[in-house]
Amino acid sequence: MIVPPDTQQTQEKVPLFPSWNYWYALVTGWLLLLIALFFFITNRFA
Amino acid sequence: MSPLDWIVLAVTLSGIITYGLYKSKTTKNLEGYFLSNRSFSSSLILLSVMGTQASAVTFLSAPGQAYTDGMRFVQYYLGLPLAMVVLCITFVPIFHKLKVYTAYEYLEKRFDSKTRTFTAGLFLLQRGLSTGISIYAPSIILSSLFGWNIYLTNIFMGGLLIIYTVSGGARAVAYTQQFQFIIIILGMVTAACMVVHLLPDGVGLMDTLRVSGRLGKLNVITSGVKEQGFDWSDRYNIWSGLIGGFFLALSYFGTDQSQVGRYLTARSVAESRLGLLLNGMIKVPMQFCILLVGALIFTFYQFNQAPLSFNQSMVEKVSATPKADSLRHMQAEYSALSEQKRELVHSFIRGHQQGMVDEAVSAELKKVNAATDQLRTHFKTMARNTVAGDANDTNYIFLRFVVDYMPKGLVGLLIAIIFLAAWGSIAAALNSLASSTVVDIHKKFFQKGGCTDREDYSISKWYTLGWGIFSIAVAQFAGNAGSLIELVNILGSLFYGVILGIFLVAFYCKNIYGNATFWSAVLVEGVVMILFWQSDLGFLWLNVIGAVGVVLASYLLHATLFSKRLSAKT
Repeated sequence: MIVPPDTQQTQEKVPLFPSWNYWYALVTGWLLLLIALFFFITNRFA
Repeated sequence: MSPLDWIVLAVTLSGIITYGLYKSKTTKNLEGYFLSNRSFSSSLILLSVMGTQASAVTFLSAPGQAYTDGMRFVQYYLGLPLAMVVLCITFVPIFHKLKVYTAYEYLEKRFDSKTRTFTAGLFLLQRGLSTGISIYAPSIILSSLFGWNIYLTNIFMGGLLIIYTVSGGARAVAYTQQFQFIIIILGMVTAACMVVHLLPDGVGLMDTLRVSGRLGKLNVITSGVKEQGFDWSDRYNIWSGLIGGFFLALSYFGTDQSQVGRYLTARSVAESRLGLLLNGMIKVPMQFCILLVGALIFTFYQFNQAPLSFNQSMVEKVSATPKADSLRHMQAEYSALSEQKRELVHSFIRGHQQGMVDEAVSAELKKVNAATDQLRTHFKTMARNTVAGDANDTNYIFLRFVVDYMPKGLVGLLIAIIFLAAWGSIAAALNSLASSTVVDIHKKFFQKGGCTDREDYSISKWYTLGWGIFSIAVAQFAGNAGSLIELVNILGSLFYGVILGIFLVAFYCKNIYGNATFWSAVLVEGVVMILFWQSDLGFLWLNVIGAVGVVLASYLLHATLFSKRLSAKT
């Protein structure tokens, strides 16, 4: 049976951050920031 | 097009083909041809993934979509960054660990042969047809604008890239995509700057944003909630984008070989992950900027008269029918309204610049825009009832603007960009169609005895050529298709949900086996088709229904019809 490996199983060096979880948080945070910006644009110019 | 435009077009396209052939040297075996020996860096993965997703339709239709429907289309991409995170956690490490050539290979290891073949079949069907549309979409627009023969344009659009795709496989595809994508971005930035530059003196970017915002084109975030409650038939809102878009992106990037084949070429899991995560960060703002070009063009046409239809060939066709008088009357009314629009928009901007918002002017401007929209709709209806052809002019808006207002040379570059964008996605599609056909079908059913690396390499090239010819043939038979960017996405949504559901069961439902999954997928695919034909449900929701449906049905069938003993692999 093949199970989804978690980030701990990957031995390769993670660029810039101590673990991939920081990258995932960065991408999610960036998305939230974009949504907030889009929301602002919609309200500001509508 | 001027001679200078032709020169720019010819030099750009021949430069890409030459570069593709130059980068064609690869190991003559399956891994070399389809995966470039798994040697690429994250930056190459990023550009290749983005180049594969962004077809010509993206650059042609998206500005037109913003022009007609506003910028809310960007919400379609909101689920993509989240999908990249899930991909990096689950899909990428598994595919790399198993060293598969195609995503569907994994399904045989996890389930059985029929589930793998069924899923590969769905992919080949969907991707084969989509690739045909990817050739037809830019060809029909270029042929209408310049009077080129559509059949020859299809052959030119789909044929030239075959030279380097057949010759160099994944390596040539990735390197040319990298080059193509840089040219595309530079061209789009130049186009955006030119729109602002062409606005009347004293009208700046903020003024254009105010105008397009006031006229409903900067509706970037919409809730989908109407007076009667949530509108499930509304295609683009934050919820369909985040949820439906997430499932669509997860399925596209996680189970569509045209994308999986890109990041399987990475030299490590880390390079794949980094490429995909950067894609998750860049894609949404990039799409926002492309749509913004459409919103800017919309404002530009407040100061300048827009054509009644951006597909000029339709106007000419209607002019040659007994409806010509009605058309003349319609055009006179349209010109008068456009003149009114120009005066109103100037006075709206003057008011804003002096710090006084005249609501009466704003309301009148909206009214006049509604009247011109109504005339455009009347023309479309008349054209549909009178002549054959594409009455929906959404896909023509951007190029019509380019041809009418861009300086010589830049027109050629922007036409070249349409070709390059098409080639990037078509080349990746042909490479993936060939890899899935060779690995999942040919070697499994027709070549069980095995063969040499040279023979594998040769067969792969023939299949790439075969899929290229098939796609051009599909393009030759493609008819009127409305907004082509939507058509491609709708076609994907019919199959992607189910394919994703199969992979979700494979990854996360450890106790469910082949039979339950296979029959669930067949059942749910039928339900998705029925829903598509019989209901008004927004197409993004089909991805959710497909994926969740397969997971739930698999559990149900596993618990009832297929016991563990019966459905376990032998």
